[in-house]
Amino acid sequence: MIGRRDFLKSSGGVFIAFSLFEPQRWPANGQKPGASSGAPDASKLDAWLAVHPDNTATLFTGKVDVGTGTKTALAQIAADELDFPIERLVVVMGDTATTIDQGPSYGSLTIRVAGRQIRHAAAAGRAVLLDMGADYFKLPASQLEVRAGSLVVVGDPSRTVTFGALVSGRRLDVSIGATGQTFGMKIAPKAVLKDPSTYTVVGKSIRRTDIPGKVTGEFTFIQDVSVPGMLHGRVVRPYGVGAKLVSVDDSGLKEIPGFVQVVRRGNFLGVVAETEWAAIQAAAKLGSTLQPAGPDKAGAKWSDWNGLPAMNEIWDVVRKTPGQNESVANKGSVDIALGDAAQTVKATYLTPFQMHATLGPSCAIADVNGQRATIWSGTQMPHQTQRDMSTLLGIPMENVEVHWVEAAGAYGRNGLEHAVADAALMSQAVGKPVRVQWMRWDEHGWEPKGPPIAQDLVGALDATGKVIAWRHHMWVPTTGDTRLIASELIGKPIGREGRGSGSVTYAYTFENADVSSHGEGRVGLLTAWLRSPAQFETTFAMESFIDELAAAAKQDPLTFRLSYLEDRRAIGVLQAAAEAYGWKSRPAGSQGPSTGDVAHGRGLAWVNRDDTYVAAIADVTVNRSTGVIRVSRVVVAHDCGLVINPDGMKNQIEGNIIQSMSRTLHEEVTFDQAHVTSRDWRGYPILRFTEIPDAIDIVLVNNRPEYPPNGGGEPSTCQTAAMIGNAVFDATGIRLRQTPFRPERVKAALGA
Amino acid sequence: MAQSITLNVNGKERTVQADEQSMLLYALRDNLGLHGPKFGCGLSECGACTVLMDGKAVHSCVTPLSAVRGRKIVTLEGLGGGSELHPLQQAFIDEQAAQCGYCLNGVIMTAKAFLDTHPHPTRDQIKQALDGTLCRCGTHMRMVRAIERASRHESTQEGQA
Repeated sequence: MIGRRDFLKSSGGVFIAFSLFEPQRWPANGQKPGASSGAPDASKLDAWLAVHPDNTATLFTGKVDVGTGTKTALAQIAADELDFPIERLVVVMGDTATTIDQGPSYGSLTIRVAGRQIRHAAAAGRAVLLDMGADYFKLPASQLEVRAGSLVVVGDPSRTVTFGALVSGRRLDVSIGATGQTFGMKIAPKAVLKDPSTYTVVGKSIRRTDIPGKVTGEFTFIQDVSVPGMLHGRVVRPYGVGAKLVSVDDSGLKEIPGFVQVVRRGNFLGVVAETEWAAIQAAAKLGSTLQPAGPDKAGAKWSDWNGLPAMNEIWDVVRKTPGQNESVANKGSVDIALGDAAQTVKATYLTPFQMHATLGPSCAIADVNGQRATIWSGTQMPHQTQRDMSTLLGIPMENVEVHWVEAAGAYGRNGLEHAVADAALMSQAVGKPVRVQWMRWDEHGWEPKGPPIAQDLVGALDATGKVIAWRHHMWVPTTGDTRLIASELIGKPIGREGRGSGSVTYAYTFENADVSSHGEGRVGLLTAWLRSPAQFETTFAMESFIDELAAAAKQDPLTFRLSYLEDRRAIGVLQAAAEAYGWKSRPAGSQGPSTGDVAHGRGLAWVNRDDTYVAAIADVTVNRSTGVIRVSRVVVAHDCGLVINPDGMKNQIEGNIIQSMSRTLHEEVTFDQAHVTSRDWRGYPILRFTEIPDAIDIVLVNNRPEYPPNGGGEPSTCQTAAMIGNAVFDATGIRLRQTPFRPERVKAALGA
Repeated sequence: MAQSITLNVNGKERTVQADEQSMLLYALRDNLGLHGPKFGCGLSECGACTVLMDGKAVHSCVTPLSAVRGRKIVTLEGLGGGSELHPLQQAFIDEQAAQCGYCLNGVIMTAKAFLDTHPHPTRDQIKQALDGTLCRCGTHMRMVRAIERASRHESTQEGQA
């Protein structure tokens, strides 16, 4: 990796060689050219920006692109504020030696928070360059203007200088000011920002720079990185989730050509070899296979651990787990109102463990060499990984360097951070760089899951069909357990368990309401954030249950919702979706037409996730004899304020819709009392090409300069399960209260 | 045991030192540095490792080198002609049909083999052809559009010929 200072000294050729399209090979530890001297200082312009003699520039950000196109979007924000051609702007992401820690890249916060920080840094950069130009031309800055990376004297366009010539290879070592840390950090607070209505790059569907390399195979994913002298490692996980390693019979391993050694530390077990194939063979001999036969049936002998609850009892366990109650909303008295009810509706909603299920199993390369460690990782949080590896390896933080390289989509905290710890322990043991990639069963079996959640709801209507009471109680295990698997296996846990919370935005105006959650720690399996953590599940319950009340009141589900909403942006997305769909008012569950075995219905749901509002409507068919649900059309109204890259945003929304359809219709982690049993794509099916809708129509609402940009990576996941469930009810009169809506469950509900 | 095995990859004879029972995927990625094909599952379930063998799409993660002798292998890197992009590759750029892009190899190589035998497919035929290829980001709509676009391009080329 090339440091910032090297960039500044370099000629243009270096940057072309460093372009996204080039396969990247890094020198091994110790051979790094121009080692950086400590972390950059966020209050200096050169922490964010470098301008090179050939009039290219580099934007440095601690954020990373998890396959959502934020690299392009952040470049758009910087290029616009800086008045610099975007095609000449390179973005360096997540490199701990050269970028500022702007917090992990999660929670749909990259554009919303880091985008603002970068906007300020770029605006400050523009002002610094204007000042430099004033010196250069010996004119007041007010007589200069910035045009596409050059300064031009007003009224005399023959007098011009490029940013590159002006800076002429110097570091932009200028104070711009900074306060706070990570998400709370304010950069260049006094910078004068452009009026968003004058943006020329923001708001354009700039093509992503990574896609050409990805369609030709030239792009370097973390899975493609190799460093000189690199060995290959594979993990051998315990048979039972909490099993202890009793013994290791390594007979036969030495006969595998290229086998190097077994790495054993406490309950951590791995193998290292010269080739991937040898590592896979060696790991298999020790028990790393799709369907291991038992705790003592392979080379590694584990204690017989059976501590997981039975699958169908998991929600009882969740309900009985100690935790803390937390109120989300409390108004009036639900208990008194229930006494006055003409009609009371009660329902329980259950959702299972689900997984990120990345297509590319987690991978990391570690080169631990005495008191220095170099890590290559696709982590969402390179700076946290740097701190964690310092603790795990007992190496000072300044001697740990993390190079971020894009991974296959992760959709939250999957195995990527854990693979780093695996690679680090193996490299430390063998004293050479080790690349670890998890096998499919490691990923499906051991990645942190989204937790199972149980929710009880009670609603009451008066004689006129008006809602007089609403109670929603959630039981939510942690979605933030960051303890590293390898660190637990060696008995030196790093990270924290965290506690679940009721991720729900309650906005209805019922006179009596009680919305609360019971937040818990780890229940059964390791769980962490999975796209829209807990809010995918809580929105399923909330938006299905309001549909139940609308049906009980014999009212149109759109009108019903609107009559209990005052939030204008909520109303805005609901009306925009209804208009784009062509919504005609009729009571919920009055059912569309039926043709033979196939029933047709429509379903509506909405969400506010962290100030991004989404309403969606689906047309669905239900085959009564097979139980198969098909979603034929989805209309989405999406309000995240000003959109940086409309095509990129639509790509994210389509992805959210399809992935959440998959989670609604198919996905459930299965397990026996020892371990996860859905360890491949047969056990954990996801949506396939033949199941996609005919159309996903997207309306971007409030995409205007006066609305600041909010996040779009997650929100449009939340509403989907309720949307489909409501459409199934509309079609059949059957209410599905447990995901996934697999054909057997649908058939059972239909009594078919 | 590792031995010298000669493979025909992207029109060139390449020799690798590898166990004959090891899978083609690792020889392509680790011995020849061809990173187009990806490790996804090692179980022939996701398609990320797809390559063409004598023109047919195969899963290289379960194809032992012993089965590849005398066969012609084409990877994603060999799809275009030299510096030219293949129409499918161009269509995926034009439709911006990627999120993370890890599945692209499987989708494009499967589509290539399919279009070679079905130059004028319907949308449903495209979906059927790709049903064994997984995409986790949910980029399916764009991918289907990109394949339709590429098939129209092929038709245009034929029309001009």
